[in-house]
Amino acid sequence: MIERTDRKERTDRLGMPVRADNYTASRPPGWQGQPGGCGIASCISLKGEKIGGDRIARMLTIMEERENGLGAGYACYGLFPERRDQYCLQFFFDDEEGKCNAEEFLDGRLNIAHDEKVFTRDRSTISPPYPMVWRYFADVPDHREWRGERDLGEEDYMVEIVQHINEKIPKAFCVSSGKDMAVFKGNGYSYEIAELYEIERYSGTMWLSHSRFPTNSPAWWAGAHPLSLLDWGVCHNGEITSYGVNRKLVEMNGYRCTVLTDTEVVTYLWDLLVRRNRLPLEVAAFVMAPSTFQEISLMPPAERRLAEWLRITYKEAFLNGPFSIIVGRSQPDISLIALADRKKLRPMIAGLSPDEGVAYCASEESAIRIVEPDARTWAPGAGNPFIAVAGKGILRRGTEPSFQGVSL
Amino acid sequence: MKDVCKPKGHSHECDCGKECLSVIGDRAVIDLHLSPTQPMHYTTLNCVMRKAMRRGCLSIELRGVMGQRYLASTASAPGLYIAVHGTPGNDLGAFLNGPTIEVFGNAQDMTGNTMNSGKIVVHGNAWDVTGLAARGGQILVKGDTGYRVGIHMKEFGESRPTMVIGGTAKDYLGEYMAGGTILVLGLNGIVPVGRSLGAGMHGGRIFVRGKVSPEQLGPGAALSSLNPEDEKEVRMLISDFVKAFGTDVPDDMSEYVKIAPSSSRPFSGYYDKTNV
Amino acid sequence: MSDTPSTKRLDHRLPERFVPTINYDLCRVCRRCVNDCSYQALEFRESKVVSSGGCVACGRCIAVCPANCIEVRPVPPQFAPHGNWSERSRRSILAQASSGGVLLSSCGADDEHPAIFDDLLLDAAQVTNPSIDPLREPVETVTYLGRRPGRLEVCDGKVMIREDDTPLIRMDMPLMFGHISLGSISYNAQKALFMAAKELNIVAGSGEGGLHPDFYQYADRICSEVASGRFGIKPEYLKGVAAVEIKIGQGAKPGHGGHLPGEKVTTMISETRMIPRGTDALSPYPHHDIYSIEDLAQLISVLKESTEYRLPVGVKIAAVHNVGAIASGLVRAGADFLTVDGYKGGTGAAPRVIRDHAGLPVEVAIAAVDKRLTQEGLRNRVTVCAGGGIRSSADMIKALALGADVVMVSTSAMIAMGCRVCQQCHRGLCSWGIATQRDDLTARLDSNVAAARIVHLFRAWNEELKEVLGAMGIDAVESLVGNRDRLRYRGPNPKIAEVMNVKHIGEGWG
Repeated sequence: MIERTDRKERTDRLGMPVRADNYTASRPPGWQGQPGGCGIASCISLKGEKIGGDRIARMLTIMEERENGLGAGYACYGLFPERRDQYCLQFFFDDEEGKCNAEEFLDGRLNIAHDEKVFTRDRSTISPPYPMVWRYFADVPDHREWRGERDLGEEDYMVEIVQHINEKIPKAFCVSSGKDMAVFKGNGYSYEIAELYEIERYSGTMWLSHSRFPTNSPAWWAGAHPLSLLDWGVCHNGEITSYGVNRKLVEMNGYRCTVLTDTEVVTYLWDLLVRRNRLPLEVAAFVMAPSTFQEISLMPPAERRLAEWLRITYKEAFLNGPFSIIVGRSQPDISLIALADRKKLRPMIAGLSPDEGVAYCASEESAIRIVEPDARTWAPGAGNPFIAVAGKGILRRGTEPSFQGVSL
Repeated sequence: MKDVCKPKGHSHECDCGKECLSVIGDRAVIDLHLSPTQPMHYTTLNCVMRKAMRRGCLSIELRGVMGQRYLASTASAPGLYIAVHGTPGNDLGAFLNGPTIEVFGNAQDMTGNTMNSGKIVVHGNAWDVTGLAARGGQILVKGDTGYRVGIHMKEFGESRPTMVIGGTAKDYLGEYMAGGTILVLGLNGIVPVGRSLGAGMHGGRIFVRGKVSPEQLGPGAALSSLNPEDEKEVRMLISDFVKAFGTDVPDDMSEYVKIAPSSSRPFSGYYDKTNV
Repeated sequence: MSDTPSTKRLDHRLPERFVPTINYDLCRVCRRCVNDCSYQALEFRESKVVSSGGCVACGRCIAVCPANCIEVRPVPPQFAPHGNWSERSRRSILAQASSGGVLLSSCGADDEHPAIFDDLLLDAAQVTNPSIDPLREPVETVTYLGRRPGRLEVCDGKVMIREDDTPLIRMDMPLMFGHISLGSISYNAQKALFMAAKELNIVAGSGEGGLHPDFYQYADRICSEVASGRFGIKPEYLKGVAAVEIKIGQGAKPGHGGHLPGEKVTTMISETRMIPRGTDALSPYPHHDIYSIEDLAQLISVLKESTEYRLPVGVKIAAVHNVGAIASGLVRAGADFLTVDGYKGGTGAAPRVIRDHAGLPVEVAIAAVDKRLTQEGLRNRVTVCAGGGIRSSADMIKALALGADVVMVSTSAMIAMGCRVCQQCHRGLCSWGIATQRDDLTARLDSNVAAARIVHLFRAWNEELKEVLGAMGIDAVESLVGNRDRLRYRGPNPKIAEVMNVKHIGEGWG
């Protein structure tokens, strides 16, 4: 028997060593964006009912071949019904000092109604250190000022606050900042993260989840998916080859890239195009995964004109490269959007329960069948968004023409 | 960490999965519901299947499959039949070399990856990259398939792979095709194939029942009608499909079109070899 | 000042630079080389073709010799070697001491400073990202030129496309031909450029020499030029074309205007430029109605008003040290597109001192303009064109990655027609019929053949662009424009990489 007297080595799924140092809130020095493969899974109650966290954990963990233990996460929507109209800011702190730094900054800028430790199990197979995970329920004050601007909208103000913390406040990182939603993630396997947060204690109307196979370590808790800003939550499988172009566009519009991954830029693009520019969801999806000019030339005149102008105006928002993304939001309604790139180089399957009560999107069919054995499944098309809204139903299966339902 | 079984060589004998395996004569049943670890890891399942094959079983029935990958990869036992109840994971029957696999449900991606010979029958849908680089054998799918199906299928000598799809296929069907035959029946009435059809084809043939417009063709592919030999092949494939699934398939040959390479060297003249 | 006999003395005669050498064993004595040499460097003496001095290595004799028996040899250095005093520096002084004149030359900068393009390496996709095969899967190179709205407004869920927005010009590739005036080049040469632009579905600059009536049939692919000399500007020149560009400067001679000597102002030129025959065509150094940025805004506005806002109006500047700030000013002054011309760009005539020593390399200029416009929030409202010494598709691709929406080429189009870049354009004796107004020389250039050659070249460059895009895993050129993450710098001076915001080789993503 081989005797080991040195420190126990942490390894990933294939036995490759992983650098022992973990970073929680503060970004690792020399951190570079991590392309890699992944698994994604999501579910939404179309009747507005509750789904327990154990269901999403089962969906995600069955696809464990897609991860290597260096990051996984869950986002839950509709889990704070009593505090639905307050912003829930969920934080990682490296230590007490980070918590003090953040609270000092928030004091006077937000009205904190309530704060609490986010439950995490004492023991876990995940290597330490762990961050302190804390949440704050906050309202935006009526009289607010940011760097001299007095009439900033509530959401724009929240974006400034969160980005400032993530960029400038040491040892603290805000991992979600939306109303009636929260992100639970970290540096471990999907089942370890589910275990750590005891994800089954939460019930929500909608869940997104993600497991990762990054190609290099060290791992960073705050760098795992889902990535979130306001109520936008994004899980992403793939690699965006136009990252440099997209990043310049979002930075030009005031967003600060602190996670330095392509997924971060995708999150900001949804905020920019849908919340700020008010583009309908189908139009924003077209901008990110547009048809080719050849396909556009075959469209009817009104669609063709819109498609051409969208490609001309928003060419810096085109996400090039293979991707499947699932995107969640809670304002105005809890909604799930799933989108694959225009050549469908990453997998995406959608499903519906037989009673049409719950809809699903995931990287593999087995992730759906394991929780809904008799689901009806279909595959959304390349560049074709799937959209489902809690309490309303599936608005778009992902097989319709690009601008169906969009007024022209 | 989940329990995995990492076999260390051909003569690997282990106990994993023994709760699930029962063998009567030359028939084996592997019931994943009986596995103490849920879900059963694919290495364990594949190991148990190989045990059954080594014992000379001619049929293996799998129950409760849920996403396990690489099932029956490189399986070569002659005359072997494998029934899959549940949802098999990616790369089902990769490098398959003789046996027949029948899926009672939907398959996932890369079914029949680089298969050499044998048969895969799916009573449901198969998704992306089905039949990638197949060199022989047959894949029959009752429902729909996804993107990049039948990419780089090839044929050589007597070995010619065939694929029949009852529903539809999406973009890039038969891309880079160098041999083999794909037949898409479009039985559910939706547009049977997508765009970039046969892009870069330099061998083989694709038959589609339904309308295909020239804009859907990829570079190097050309539309034509069927000659008598083609019709014979299509009828044979239809009969294989009907035998497997029992559905009715219209065999009016005027409804079928053929997509074949427009030339065997479509890109000559593209390169300049001057010594600059 | 020409050299009169009194100033020409034997000990100031400069040695020849090139000698055409005939292989007499193969020579068929057809004398085609003697007839075709427009520089009178060959003569027939004592039944043999011999060199008579003044060869400029234009390559015409080599190309037309049916026996393929001519070799133009560079003459070995005739001066004693010196580490500091190069051949060129000594020859220049000897010449100027004789003439008292400003040394004039043509084509692009002839300094030996290597192009920064050669220090840049392109990225490719491996493993974590698939590459794309452009022969089998779509890789789009369609590019639009003009002003863009920045965002589309939404009203009641409907995306509003304003009817009065100026349309953009659609091109099949991110390439345009730079402005080369009729006068600096011949009628046949310019016709070939316009025919090629039409065939390739891109845009060609007309140059500042006006537009010949015969060329209005190509007007929908022509960008006309309003330069400081305001030559040939009549209403059709502004309204009938695809775009109008105000020329503030040219990369080869920043701060300078233009000079077409009177000998080249033939009847045709005088008609097209609307000046008297035989006079020099002088373009002033500045526009005499633009002395500050608000004056430029005024000129842009009057052009837009005159064209009823139906075409893009742009501005071309030479790349100079403050190019980022200038570009920002141009956009705020109303320019729909801007062109940045690097110091290695070509010209029909320019003083050597300006051509070789003034300006900024286009690589750094593009990066500066892209960075500054992004900082100002203006980048997605305007099309940035850039050029100046683009020698290959690799240069073009790197220029796109540095931040240009459209790459401008001129010299390479002329080389496609036959030009050998012998730097004699200013003498008007071009043996290829390109940079001359002499009818006998112009007749040598068949516009149809020349146009076909230009089309071949740039179609091949576009295929090469697609090959590189595919290798990077990008399927549309707009995802490469300004994507400096896909470039790495490997040159001797890392500060250049820093200034251009390009990472050094060995640095990863993020």
